[in-house]
Amino acid sequence: MFSEFCLEMPDRLEDALSILSDMKGTPVAGGTNILIDIRSQKENPPRLVALGDIDELRGIKVEKGRVVVGSRTTISDLLKSSQLLKTSPSVIDAAGQFAGQMVRNTGTMGGNIACASPAADLVPPLMSLDAEVRLASASGSRTVALRDYYQGYKQDVRGADELVTQVSWNALPQKSVNRFYKLARRRGDAITVTGVAVTLSVSNGKCSKARIALGAVAPTAIRAEKAENMLEGQVLSETLIEAVATQAAAECSPIDDVRASADYRRHSVQMLTRRLISEAWNKLAQEVKSHVK
Amino acid sequence: MSTTGLVDDNPPNIKFSQIGKPLSRTDAPGKVFGSTLFAGDYVMPGMLHLRLVRADIASAKLVHLDVEKARAVEGVVDIITAQDLPALLAKADTSEKKEQKLTTDPQLLVSERVRYFGEPLALIAAETYEIAERACQLVEFKLDPLPAVYDPLEAMQPGAPVVQAPDNIVVERKIRKGDAAAGLEKADFVIENTFRTPFQEHAFLEPEAGMAWVDENDVVNIRVCTQDIEHFRDVADAIGVPHNKIRIRGAFVGGGFGGKEEFALELYLALMARKTRRPVRLEYSREESFVAHGKRHPFILRYKTGVTKDGRICGLDVSIVADSGAYVFLSPNVLLYAAVASPGPYRVDNLNVHACAVATNNMYTSAFRGYGALQACAAYEQQMDEVAKFLEMDRIEFRRLNYLKTGEPISTGYVPPSAIWTEQCVDRAWAALGERIDSTGPVKIGRGIAAYQQSYGKVSAMGDISEAWVGVETDGTVIVRSGVADIGGGQVSALGQIVAEIFGVTLDDVAIYKTDSALTPLSGRTAATRTLYMTGNATKQAAAAIHSRLAGRAALELGVQADEIDMVNNKVFVSAKPEICMSFKELVNICAAEGIHRSQLAIFRAPFSDIIDPQTGQGQAHPDYVYGAHAAEVSVDTETGEVHVLRSIAAHDIGQCINRAAVEGQIEGGAQNGQGFALSEEMLYEQGKLVTPSLSEYLMPTSMDMPRVETIILESRSGIGPFGAKGIGEPAMTPVAPAIANAVADAIGVRVFEMPITPERIVNALKQQRR
Repeated sequence: MFSEFCLEMPDRLEDALSILSDMKGTPVAGGTNILIDIRSQKENPPRLVALGDIDELRGIKVEKGRVVVGSRTTISDLLKSSQLLKTSPSVIDAAGQFAGQMVRNTGTMGGNIACASPAADLVPPLMSLDAEVRLASASGSRTVALRDYYQGYKQDVRGADELVTQVSWNALPQKSVNRFYKLARRRGDAITVTGVAVTLSVSNGKCSKARIALGAVAPTAIRAEKAENMLEGQVLSETLIEAVATQAAAECSPIDDVRASADYRRHSVQMLTRRLISEAWNKLAQEVKSHVK
Repeated sequence: MSTTGLVDDNPPNIKFSQIGKPLSRTDAPGKVFGSTLFAGDYVMPGMLHLRLVRADIASAKLVHLDVEKARAVEGVVDIITAQDLPALLAKADTSEKKEQKLTTDPQLLVSERVRYFGEPLALIAAETYEIAERACQLVEFKLDPLPAVYDPLEAMQPGAPVVQAPDNIVVERKIRKGDAAAGLEKADFVIENTFRTPFQEHAFLEPEAGMAWVDENDVVNIRVCTQDIEHFRDVADAIGVPHNKIRIRGAFVGGGFGGKEEFALELYLALMARKTRRPVRLEYSREESFVAHGKRHPFILRYKTGVTKDGRICGLDVSIVADSGAYVFLSPNVLLYAAVASPGPYRVDNLNVHACAVATNNMYTSAFRGYGALQACAAYEQQMDEVAKFLEMDRIEFRRLNYLKTGEPISTGYVPPSAIWTEQCVDRAWAALGERIDSTGPVKIGRGIAAYQQSYGKVSAMGDISEAWVGVETDGTVIVRSGVADIGGGQVSALGQIVAEIFGVTLDDVAIYKTDSALTPLSGRTAATRTLYMTGNATKQAAAAIHSRLAGRAALELGVQADEIDMVNNKVFVSAKPEICMSFKELVNICAAEGIHRSQLAIFRAPFSDIIDPQTGQGQAHPDYVYGAHAAEVSVDTETGEVHVLRSIAAHDIGQCINRAAVEGQIEGGAQNGQGFALSEEMLYEQGKLVTPSLSEYLMPTSMDMPRVETIILESRSGIGPFGAKGIGEPAMTPVAPAIANAVADAIGVRVFEMPITPERIVNALKQQRR
C-alpha cells in the first residue's frame, strides 16, 4: 500500500529546482520505479516532486551533429524520432525493447539514468555514444560525462537539490556502427540479464574508435575500457575479437540473482561482445568495400 | 483466427445449425465493453475491509500472538485469530492425531505450528483498507524457528524434519500391470532418464476477491470469484450452520486454472460477516495472491523404458516423487492422475508405477490445469524422444509402433469408451510444420512433437452429478439456469449453444442465469475438464425433454409423427416437407395455452465406479480420455541459450466442437500456459520464501514471446459429452511443454532434463556436452 507523502507538481523547471533546494524532495519523472518501491515499502519519501507538467524538459533536438534530449522525454517519444534512428541506433534498439508499452509511455530518459539501476536499458547505449548528463539546481548547472555519473550500486553524483535536465551526445559519425543487444528471459516486458552496447568506427581500414558498454553485469553500467583499447588502431581479426570479448568479460563483476547467475552473465558478455563486434566490423568492411567500388 | 482442420472420418448426415460454429459468446459483449461485473467490483454500504497477517518464516512454532495494539487502532472493528475460530476450524491443525481431511488441509489461521511462508495468523476487519493495512503492522507475533525441509528427496530421508507425520510421505499410488520386471529383463535395451518439472503459479488475470453479508433471513451471502460455488456446504459445516444458511453467488471469473478451487477466502468472509454483522470485503494483491493459494506440484520423474531392437516398448518402470508442500490437500488425486497417465497414449502391457507426494515446508501444492497428468506428459514425451534417439529411429515412427489404439486398455486396464486418435493428431500436427529449414551459425532450429492422454470428468470413484434447468418462454425465447462457474472458457455460453441447437433458435434467443448456489441448479466444480461434459449433458437432457413434448404437440398440429418434426431457424416443420411448418413461437403459445410443460430440471450422472485397486491401480479411474498432440518449432541461440518459439501447432480430437472460437481460445491459452511452463516461469524459493512474487519476476510469455498458435481440430464425435464432445480445458496445455523441450533438444543435440529450460541451463548443457 502507499504510505503518506506530500506531492508537489510544479510546471516550471525553476519552481521544481526551488522546491528541491531544501534537499528534502524526491523527484518523480515517469514514476515507473519509485512508485513500485513506495508500494512495496522499500522507499518512504515524505515529499514527492512530480516533474510531469514541466514541458520544457521534454523534446529531442539534433543540431550541428549534437543530439540533445530533454530528461522528461519518454521512451515512446524516443521511438517516434526518425532523427534518433539515424544518429543513435543503439538508443532506438534499447527503447524498442524497453519494458512494456505502458511503461514506455510514461518512463523517461532522465528517470532511467537517475534511478541508477545497473540494468537501466538506455544507459549502455548512451555510454557507447559518450553521452553527457546535464544537472541543474537552483544555484546553477553542470555537465557530467555519463561514464563518470555512477558511483556504485544505485548511487550517482546527482545532489539531492539537482535534477537531470538533459542528455546529449554527438551523432554517430560516418563509417561507424552502433548496436545494442538486450539479453533477457523473455522478449516482452523483461528486466535485462545482460546488456551490451557497442560502437565501432573505422578509418583507413583500421578501428579508429571502439566503445563497449555493459549493463546489468556490475554494480553500475560500465565501459569495458581495456577491451576498447585493444581494438583501437587495429585491423580486426577473429583472434583479436575473441581476445577482446574475453577481456570484456573479465572487466565485468556480475552477481547471482533471480534472473541469472554471475557465471552465465560473464559468459553472455563474452558471447555478445564477440558477436556485436564481429557484426559491426563485417558491416563496416562491406561499407568500405562498396565505397571503394 | 487460426487454421482449422478437416473433420476426419466424419459420420455422415449430421447437420448442425448452431453446434460447432465460432459464434460470439454470450459473455463477450459485457467483457469487451467493460460492463461485466467481476466479484471484486461489488461494494455495499457500511462495508468493512479485511486483511490477513501472514507468517514470515516457513517453519516455526507460534509462541506469542498479540493483537491488542492493532485492535486499539481507530477504525479497526474486529480481529480474528485461531483462538476465535469455531471448534471445527480450530481443530484443523491436528496432524499428529491423524484425523482425516481437516488434518491435511491448510490451516485457516495458525494455532501453533507454521508450516509454510505466508501462512495466515490473524484476520483484521476495519473501516478502510488503509486502516486494516496499518493494523496489520501492529499485530505482534513471535515465531520460534523449527527445523525445516525444502527438498522432497531430503524430506523422505530418515531423520528429516517432520512436516506431516509420520514420515512426510503423504500419499502413494501404485500401478502394477503385467510384469514390468520381466518386461525390462527381456528388453534389448533399457533407457533410463530422470526429468524434473517446477512449481507453477496460476497467475490468473483476476487475483482472489470477494465479499459477504448476512441478510434479513440470517443467510450468509458470499459473492466471490470461484471455480466452485458448492463450497457453500463446506463453509456451512466448518462454521456450524445449516447448509441452507450459506449462499454463494459467483461472478464471471477472471481465470481459474485450478487456483480457485480452495475456499479459504469464503471462510474468512463468512466468519467476519457473521461476527461483525456488516458486509465485508477481502481482495488479495497480486503479491499476496502469489503466496495465498497452492501451486502446481513440482515433480521428479524417473523413467526406465525397456524396448526391443525393432522399437516396441516391452516394459516400463516409473517412479514419481512430487512435492506436496506443507499440506496434503489435493495431492492424493493429483498423484492418481499422474500414475494413470504415466505411460502416456502408448500400449504398455508391462507397467510398474510408484508415485508419491512428500510434505516439505514449501508452499503447499494444489490443482493446476493438467493435474499431475501434465507433469507425467512432460516426462513420458521427452523419454519417447530419448528412446527413439537411442534406437536411432524416427521419433514419429517409434511412437507409431507403440500407440494405444481405440478399444485397447490404458494403464489401469480400463478401455476408454471413445476413439483414440493419437496417430491422426500427431500426423496432422507434424505435417503442418511443413518443410524443414536448415539452420546455420550459432542459432539452431529444432522441432518437437508431444502426444498425450488426459482424462475429462472427475475421478469415477468420487461420483459426479450435474443439474440444469431449461425453460421456454411464451415468446419463443429460452432460459437456462445453471450453477456452472464460468472461468473464462465459455462454459456458460456453450450451454446456450446446446439449447439453441435443440430448439432451432439462435444463441441470441437464449438467456442464461448462472452461478448462484441458492437459485440455480447445482452443476459442480468447473475443473477436471468436466464442465462441458457434465453440465452440457444435463442441459441437453433438459432441453431434449422439452423438445420431445413440443415436437409431440407440433406433430399433432402438422399431422405427422413426432419423429418427423424438425426445428431450425425459429421454425418448426416436417423434415421431409419443410413447407408444412409453423413458427417456434406459435408452437410454444399453443403449448402454453394447453398447459404443456415448457420447462425441465435434468440431472446427469457420470458413470460411477469402485475405487481402483490400491495395490495394482487396476480399474476405472476416470470416465473417458482426450487424445491429441502439439508440435513446436524453436530457434535456440547456442551462445546465449535464448529460445524463441517459432511455430506452435495443436491438433486435438475434442470429439465435437460446440463453439469453435471458444475451443481455439482454450488451445491458444494452453499453448501460452505450456510455453511459460517449459521455458520461463520460475518460482524461486529461499528458505521457503518466494523471491519471485510478482509478474516482473515470474515470467509468463508475453504477446512478444508467442508465435501465432495454429489449431487443428479433429472431431471423432465419439466422446461421452453432448453431441459426442470430449473436453479441451486441460488437454490444450498438457503436451505443449514437452513438445517445446523436444524441439530444443532437437535443435542443440543435447537435452535439458529440468524445466523451465532457461538460457542458462541450455548454455550449461552445451558446455557439458563439449567436455
